[in-house]
Amino acid sequence: MSQIEVKEVTFAYPLREGVGMRAVKNLSFSVEKGEFVALVGMNGSGKSTLAKLLNGLYTPTEGEILIDGISTSKDENVFEIRKRVGMVFQNPDNQTVATIVEDDVAFGPENIGLPREEIISRVRSALDAVSMTEFADRAVSKLSGGQKQRVAIAGVLAMRPEILILDEATSMLDPIGRREVLKVAKELNEQGITVINITHNMEEAAFAKRVLAMRKGRLAIDGTPKEVFASGLLEACGLKLPPVMQLAKALADRGFEMPSSVPDEEELAEEIWRQLK
Amino acid sequence: MAAIEIKNLNFVYSAGTPFEKHALKDINLTIEEGSFVGVVGATGSGKSTLIQHLNGLIKLQDKKHSSVFVNGMDASKRATLKKLRFEVGMVFQYPEYQLFADTVAKDIAFGPKNMKLSKEEIDARVARALEVVGLDYDKIASRSPFDLSGGEKRRVAIAGVIAMQPKILVLDEPVAGLDPIGREEILALIKKLHEEVSPTVILVSHNMDDIAVLADRIVAISDGRLVADCSPKEFFADRQLVKDIGLDLPMAARITDALVQKGVPLSADIVSLTELADALSALKEGAHV
Amino acid sequence: MFRDVAFGQYYPTGSPVHKLDPRTKLLLTVLFVITIFFIKSYFGFMLTLVVLLAIVIVSRLPIVSVLKSVRGILLIVLISAAINLFVIKDGEVLAHWKIFTITKNGVHTAIKLALRLVLVISGASLLPLTTTPVELADGLEKLMIPLKIIKVPVRDIAMIMSIALRFVPTLFEETQKIMNAQKARGAAIDHGNIFKRIGAMMPVLIPLFVNSFRRADELSFAMDARCYNATDRRTKMKRLKFGWGDAVAALFLLSYTVVILLDRYYFKTVGIDIDLMIFGELL
Repeated sequence: MSQIEVKEVTFAYPLREGVGMRAVKNLSFSVEKGEFVALVGMNGSGKSTLAKLLNGLYTPTEGEILIDGISTSKDENVFEIRKRVGMVFQNPDNQTVATIVEDDVAFGPENIGLPREEIISRVRSALDAVSMTEFADRAVSKLSGGQKQRVAIAGVLAMRPEILILDEATSMLDPIGRREVLKVAKELNEQGITVINITHNMEEAAFAKRVLAMRKGRLAIDGTPKEVFASGLLEACGLKLPPVMQLAKALADRGFEMPSSVPDEEELAEEIWRQLK
Repeated sequence: MAAIEIKNLNFVYSAGTPFEKHALKDINLTIEEGSFVGVVGATGSGKSTLIQHLNGLIKLQDKKHSSVFVNGMDASKRATLKKLRFEVGMVFQYPEYQLFADTVAKDIAFGPKNMKLSKEEIDARVARALEVVGLDYDKIASRSPFDLSGGEKRRVAIAGVIAMQPKILVLDEPVAGLDPIGREEILALIKKLHEEVSPTVILVSHNMDDIAVLADRIVAISDGRLVADCSPKEFFADRQLVKDIGLDLPMAARITDALVQKGVPLSADIVSLTELADALSALKEGAHV
Repeated sequence: MFRDVAFGQYYPTGSPVHKLDPRTKLLLTVLFVITIFFIKSYFGFMLTLVVLLAIVIVSRLPIVSVLKSVRGILLIVLISAAINLFVIKDGEVLAHWKIFTITKNGVHTAIKLALRLVLVISGASLLPLTTTPVELADGLEKLMIPLKIIKVPVRDIAMIMSIALRFVPTLFEETQKIMNAQKARGAAIDHGNIFKRIGAMMPVLIPLFVNSFRRADELSFAMDARCYNATDRRTKMKRLKFGWGDAVAALFLLSYTVVILLDRYYFKTVGIDIDLMIFGELL
């Protein structure tokens, strides 16, 4: 059994009586524990809807999603699912409930009625995990975008989740903030937390171990970054190759022999150097 | 006459409180008409404070020693403030969050209406602005801006600014939050606006790859000070400065550095992918000859 | 960025007053404000001023921060004082011109009214200046607990309050941004008469509303995702605790109240008129 099993899931936003707009269509895939997945697609491809399906904020119109074998469709499971699947959203300003950092991190544990000592220790270790301990008593509104998102991640970690979903969590951040968040995500992944990063930044996609690309509510590509970039299908999904691949392509046009896929800058430099020697 | 002339600009937020912050320190800057200036700097460096001085959204704090002139108009003079605001078009971050009218056409007409133009002129400008941003007047003009897609909303918001036909166009992170195709479209649009609508463009961005390709001049701000004012090539060639003020290099420059380390003879002033690819292919040809 | 909000911007100094339990501060503020309405003599006003200054000094607040709150109501103070000045017609006549008569009683009433208003506002402004919004919400929640008996949804109210407070700076910043964007398009927000200004505010208010709904929507998802409403037995990380400081503060303010009440109800009856002793002929 996989940690996440999405089985022939369709989801339609209700528009009016009996009519819906299908945002996710007959989707099936599974994710193993400890994976680092990038879920990519252009705006409106259904990727954020999928994220909300994964932790029971939405439930499938058809099909079923199992998290550790628990169905998200049953009402009585919903909090069990949400404890396991933590979500960080796009806008840092719209997901903090409290004015002070530590109060915000405590929100989740308070909601599930943990004893006070347990909350304190969880808040401490969650802030520690995102390197925000020294900001515990600061006002959230005075933090940078990257710091706010790290607080949001801490808020999720305090629930001790097994899966972390970043729903375009870096798209409103500057490059420094983006790196801060990705670094934290990577560290958590190394500690065994499954990470699903929803993004349309192709450099971030290259950073993952597996890329799922969505197009018009369906799964268009599923593979390693190398496979996905080499597939030639990205453009059809309304996406572009990451800059490093664009350079590789430009070099191929100029008589270099480039592999079909280059994951990062270091490897590209290595490849160029080999051919210039 | 320069498009923008800033002398000894200083700005302090919340002076005398625990929140006091010296946001700008002795900024001197002249921007000629026709230039495409990229303003760079880490978050909180003072970029936003600087650009808001350009159309009097932030008032000069020390009129005795500092001044901001735009097309010869004093930005601290109330009498010419309105005229000045019509000459400096400002596209702020996430401009779609400022849409308000019940139709796209009315929203775009807001600026021209405030300019007290004739009805015919307003209509003509709305149509022209929609055309420039690549939206179909017949399909979109009478729709509610709130029903559009994210990318369309942003275009409508930009159209609302360029309908004033500003001589200077200031854009603050205009592609933030867009998907790759949306980004590419807006960047192409900015290029077009520079050529067809606003001769002077000021682009604030964190994306060094975009800035390096689009701008013909870089103004770098760090901790409220102007630390560089030169061409993109000169700016990015100063690797230490770029690093010190907390910015990234364009990717082409990063790969150049990696190759130089390996002994490949490349110039430090390569900033774009095409340049790098061309330089490398020249080296390859040379090696074969 | 920061603009100086007229009333209630938290001003951190880490003083002993800042560290008091919010419940203490809430209750003592109410006591202080009520007491001010019981002041009868100029002596009482002077004493209040001294108490107020003492609190400001112990709080390490700049006096300007308190005066700023007063500035906002200055016009109201002057108008109400003026009305009293001209309306009260009994007592010794000091001046008379056409239909206007100014009497000694009128002058005293006007001065006392103005002092009362200024002191009430200054006193009340100390609470938000020294207490964070979250502490205030927490304190209020705790103080409202008895209301649970009559089925008032105390916790929901507290949550709504604390979220509202949490979004004050966010919405303030957003308003500023939208205003700037519309001003940049030539909107006449900062001039014209009041009706013109209200009309000119629509391009600011509409996006503000639209964006607030979007924010509320996203926030509700974020709260749900973090198991809001998972259990009826929601716990709390922070516990409010009364300390020595609270006792000292309470004692201090209670003594003040006692003196004011004595002044009003007792001193005169036993033949003490402090005002006459201090000001003498001046009155």
